[in-house]
Amino acid sequence: MAEQPLLQARKITKTFPGILALDTVDFDLLPGEVHVLLGENGAGKSTLMKILAGAYQPDAGTIALNGREMRIANPRQAQRLGLGIIYQEFNLAPYLTVAQNIFLGRFPHRWGLLDQARMHAESRKLLDGLNMDIDTRAKVVSLGVAHQQMVEVAKALSVQSKILIMDEPTAALTDREIEQLFATIRRLKAQGIGIIYISHRLQEVHQIGDRVTVLRDGKFIGIRQVSRVTVDELIAMMVGRTITQMFPRDYQPQGAEALRVEGLTSGSRLRGVSLRVHAGEIVGLAGLVGAGRTELARAVFGADPYEAGQVYVFGQQVRAASPDRMVKLGMGLLPEDRKAHGLAMILSLSENVVLSSLQRLFPRRWVDVGREREVVARYIADLRIATPSPRRLVQFLSGGTQQKVVLAKWLCTHSKIFIFDEPTRGIDVGAKAEIHGFMNELVKQGAAVLMISSDLPEILGMSDRIYVMRQGQIVAEVPREKATQERIVSYAMGHEVGR
Amino acid sequence: MSGVLEEQGIRGGRRPGVPWKQVPPVAWVVLTMIAFFGLTAPGFFTAGNFLNITLQGSVLLIMAVAATLVILTEGIDLSSGSVLTLAGVTTVLALQAGLSVPAAVVVGVLTGMACGMVTGLLVTAGKLPPFIATLGMMGMAAGLALVLTRQGAIYADLPAFIFLGGGSLAIIPMPTIIATLVFALAWVVLHQTDFGRYIISIGGNEAGARLSGVNTALWKFLTYVVAGALAALGGVIMAARLRAADPIVGSGWEFDAIAATILGGTSFEKGNGTLGGTVLGVLLIAVLRNGLNVIGVGAMWQPALIGLVIIAAIVFDVLLKQRGVIR
Repeated sequence: MAEQPLLQARKITKTFPGILALDTVDFDLLPGEVHVLLGENGAGKSTLMKILAGAYQPDAGTIALNGREMRIANPRQAQRLGLGIIYQEFNLAPYLTVAQNIFLGRFPHRWGLLDQARMHAESRKLLDGLNMDIDTRAKVVSLGVAHQQMVEVAKALSVQSKILIMDEPTAALTDREIEQLFATIRRLKAQGIGIIYISHRLQEVHQIGDRVTVLRDGKFIGIRQVSRVTVDELIAMMVGRTITQMFPRDYQPQGAEALRVEGLTSGSRLRGVSLRVHAGEIVGLAGLVGAGRTELARAVFGADPYEAGQVYVFGQQVRAASPDRMVKLGMGLLPEDRKAHGLAMILSLSENVVLSSLQRLFPRRWVDVGREREVVARYIADLRIATPSPRRLVQFLSGGTQQKVVLAKWLCTHSKIFIFDEPTRGIDVGAKAEIHGFMNELVKQGAAVLMISSDLPEILGMSDRIYVMRQGQIVAEVPREKATQERIVSYAMGHEVGR
Repeated sequence: MSGVLEEQGIRGGRRPGVPWKQVPPVAWVVLTMIAFFGLTAPGFFTAGNFLNITLQGSVLLIMAVAATLVILTEGIDLSSGSVLTLAGVTTVLALQAGLSVPAAVVVGVLTGMACGMVTGLLVTAGKLPPFIATLGMMGMAAGLALVLTRQGAIYADLPAFIFLGGGSLAIIPMPTIIATLVFALAWVVLHQTDFGRYIISIGGNEAGARLSGVNTALWKFLTYVVAGALAALGGVIMAARLRAADPIVGSGWEFDAIAATILGGTSFEKGNGTLGGTVLGVLLIAVLRNGLNVIGVGAMWQPALIGLVIIAAIVFDVLLKQRGVIR
């Protein structure tokens, strides 16, 4: 117990506009331990990691390294202080060699020239220490994901890191590669290196972790010895979110089948996905970030190609799918990233609303501005869109208002099937409730809604049925009556429950 | 804060605020140049010379309208000068083969449309960057023109054809009339048809437009076809003015067209720009060229001076924007 922690963060608080990302969170790391950081999407894991990495500055709280309080001003300083970070997206230069990547930015010199021999020798030593047989002269692009990750580890160790932060290191690895990684981690532990391990995979907590800290909604929930905690306890800690919000739902009898997806397959991102959505119901699609939900939405909408599987709209098989074809068939997609995919930011509110309906409204290709104004005025009134003018550029509207504009666009095409991808992310509470109200209205009028959401209360509160996706597959279908937060999270994280 | 946003946020409406701040800086440059040449060159301030400026700027305006449409889709057309040349050649060849003037003009314009179709297909179906696709077309069209003319000028002197380049209605030169019509038509297409909306939405956010159900490939393809047709029309007028098709007449025009577009405030990103601005950009180049002629600067020096003024005008524009003097 007298052991000096490598790292001790106390009462770390970080706010972003409108969000309390971290609320007085404590975290510490001992030498030679793996400390798992666990939490749902948006729990604050990444924010905490970025603060330790020097990418963000905390609003309040202190960080001590080896007992000395420090300010980590930037990522370079974090590196100097012995913090090595291995992000999910590797920071490697693909066309440089392994050795060059390990020493990038700190190339050893000799008489003004690169000291290649030293670079390779030291890289060799580092990789041997990891028990990795990787050619230091190979270009990184020619390596597999697991080996690339080892190059990242070697790169972190080359600056004498005492602390390694790994963000979902197993996300892209096969089972065998995971075993190798764990072996490496154990070797690093033996050398006294402390590892902060961020993961979504619950079973890994017991495989590799010593202690585990759970965050939820930016708050510190608890810390446990891994040997004394069960997976069920961990799930309970992660999801104990209280549902304060009321969800406006009038449940309808299930109508005719509107959308059917069978065996949709696309690489490793979608692996034989099948689902149905009927008129008059909201079907929730739950899962972790990266489970393939957005990929599914895009494939169904014809935005990305797929290798196998069929999509049926109102019983008709869709061939040669493309977004413009799906729109004609009555489908609308409200994408996760409104700014990048939902709206033309340089166009006005009015122009955005009619963009997908120009052919329907103006079959002679001539845009009748008077008619456009009438049509748009109706949606502004119906959806209570707050704007000083219909000609206002959408980039100057708030997030909630922008989402209403996207919704108006699909109402204007007379869509019958709506795919909402994270419909209320980044939207203030008032507008959120309004969007939920509109979704309820839509299904009351016979529309079919597929709703992707990482917000569990939203999934539970709004859905008639819930599909859970994990690693490109639908792993469960849960009816509304049987849906609980624990159940959904268990399926999403791959912990099978008998309940 | 909200006041500023409200001023900026309205599209297509009159903007409130200080009136002179809304004048694009290139307009000031044009006015300054007119004043300068007016004071230094006696022959400059005459109705005849102004008509002359519009005549000299007419082909450039047509080319610049095409460049603007393409750049609004976040593309670029490097082939327009070569397409101008090639279309002039096919038009004159058609006349030499005995086709009527309207038929020959159609042959010329179709030549340009065919070139536009090829680049359009390369960009959309072939997924080539527009820079590469049109660079290829630039070489192909220029090479084909050399082959067809056997590397020398070919001549056409039918009065009805020459009228297109050298004639006038009342006192207005024909090229001026044609260019004005092209501009008006392009303006209407851009502002009053779904095609125009699609062009702007593609430039603003192609992925978003596609996910809104816009057939982005089709409309981009059509934009290149239109650009090809307009470049070809420029080639027809050029051939009519020169009474000949010269196999290198169009070289460098693509850059003038792009320069006029940029001077007019159209951005290479985000589909941001106006045809009205492009007219000012064309005016700047045309007035400068005319004025330099009038004050007797030799043809040899003109390209360097024009390049200098273009850079100065753009730096001026950027500086004003950085300092927040204009938006």
